Amino acid sequence: MIEAHELTKVFRMRADTRPGLWGAVRGLFSAETTEVRALDGVSFTVPAGERTAYLGVNGAGKSTTIKILAGVLTPGSGHCRVDGREPRADRNAHARAIGVVFGHRTQLWWDLPVTESFRILARLHDLPPALAEANRLLFDELLDLGEIADRPVRTLSLGQRMRAEIAAALFHAPRVLLLDEPTIGLDLLLKDAVHELVNRVARERGTTVLLTSHDVADISAICERVVVVDAGRVVHTGYLHELLRRAPTRTVRLEYAGDVDPAAFAHHIRLELGDPVTVTPAGRRRVTVQGPPELVTPQRVLAAVTGLVAVTDLVAPEPTLGEVLRALYVAPQPARGGR
Amino acid sequence: MTTPRGTLRRYAGLAVLLTGVGLRRLVSYRSDFLVGVGAFALRVVLHALLLGVIYRHVTDIAGWTFREAVLLLGVAMLVRGIDHAFTDQLWELGRKLVQRGELVRYLVRPVHPLFSLLSERFCYPEGIGEAVAGLAVIGYAAGGLDLDLDPARLVVFAVLLLAGALVFAAVKLLLAALAFWTTTSLQVMTAVYELADTARYPLDVFPWPARLLLTGVLPFALTGFVPADYLLHGPSLLTWLAPLIGGALTALALRVWSLGVRRFEAVGP
Repeated sequence: MIEAHELTKVFRMRADTRPGLWGAVRGLFSAETTEVRALDGVSFTVPAGERTAYLGVNGAGKSTTIKILAGVLTPGSGHCRVDGREPRADRNAHARAIGVVFGHRTQLWWDLPVTESFRILARLHDLPPALAEANRLLFDELLDLGEIADRPVRTLSLGQRMRAEIAAALFHAPRVLLLDEPTIGLDLLLKDAVHELVNRVARERGTTVLLTSHDVADISAICERVVVVDAGRVVHTGYLHELLRRAPTRTVRLEYAGDVDPAAFAHHIRLELGDPVTVTPAGRRRVTVQGPPELVTPQRVLAAVTGLVAVTDLVAPEPTLGEVLRALYVAPQPARGGR
Repeated sequence: MTTPRGTLRRYAGLAVLLTGVGLRRLVSYRSDFLVGVGAFALRVVLHALLLGVIYRHVTDIAGWTFREAVLLLGVAMLVRGIDHAFTDQLWELGRKLVQRGELVRYLVRPVHPLFSLLSERFCYPEGIGEAVAGLAVIGYAAGGLDLDLDPARLVVFAVLLLAGALVFAAVKLLLAALAFWTTTSLQVMTAVYELADTARYPLDVFPWPARLLLTGVLPFALTGFVPADYLLHGPSLLTWLAPLIGGALTALALRVWSLGVRRFEAVGP
């Protein structure tokens, strides 16, 4: 449904590094430019109906990719297809096939109520009246528009507005939904509301979703697959649960009954499990064991303490996506961003 | 919907819808709008007073009597009003839409992006008001002139008005689209718009380099002088050239716009 092939994009900016008035005057007459390589050969595909997270640190090229897929930015080289179409080849057909939300940038009519924006969108997209009405009722219910229906968009709170933005992007029942940081700046409850909105509508309609986010909660709530970019290149693609398994460290927490010296006990476990493992006593009769996944398994930890103490609880929590991602980002984090 | 007629009907329907939207939005900025109307009325009065003062000292300027000069003022207002009523949003393109990357919203709708952009201010009341005021001024001037108004002449006059409005719109689009290369272009737009005020005076009062500029380079002569001159003195070479110049300039501006959209960098998050 979405295919990106060797996309590149280089932004040229006037070198604007000299400080002060004199620097500004010299800058006026200098032809120096600096190049920022936002995308450096990005390729990936998203099969129809799949919800994929597009991950990376600030400046990794996430927004640039979304803008190219949305057809608002021309790639330097490479090509992409969304719903079988080059985004710029037939702008109207492309606009009907996609729904897009660019972070905080509004696509609603700023001075009109949300319901009015929906009415205009229905006309712009030539929605059959029955479908437009059904959508209006659906989003009325999902967004709880009752209380904000008559207020201009500019008077809405950020949370209300972001949900309205996503609803507007979904209103014409697009086959592909592109979301660039849809929950930035929202609190936990509103994030949940956004997840519910996307999941309800996109899942029901089988919409293909590509979502960028820094928020692990967004990704695990909405997506089953991930594409990880770093410094303008794709460094990993795969299913979310497989990615989680690639965590460089695993943790096992153990609670026990019995009188042993905590320091000696920890030392004993470390010896039994092998070298890179760390064992830290955590409070009364509790230890945390951390290390490579092949060394730190619940079974090995259990075996190591059997005979010394009675185990009352043993937890091996899933690694967080944050931990996994940190290991994937190979390059030092560049001070870019804003694209 | 793929036939040209279907497309035309679709766009006409959308234009009506979005005009209504634009007017509804004005309601939220009523006081701002009223201040704008007041400022515009003041300008009209000042221009008329200036003409009156000049003609207290002379009987004609380059052969144009007071009434004829008033007619020219009315024609210039009418043409400017027609353009103003449909393309006012271009100022925003030059001012901030590229600079802040806000143009993206117009690029993800299933209509031509330029239509989408302009539709934010279709039938802008300030422009309509200017056109109506222009018509009134023309009416006043015509009352004291012996004009030959047969239908064929009126048709040609209407075509010239349209060509003038196209010139205005094309120059504005061309300059606003410069923002794709220069980030903002409001200042150059304002400067050239000042030049457009020359449309109010008979072309013959200017020295030849200025006449060349106003007919060949930034043909603002087409937005006032040419239609008024035709109505008063009959056809000239410029009468026949005007539609061609208007069309060519529009084609050029559209080309520059689409080149600009291609290199639009969509800055911002």
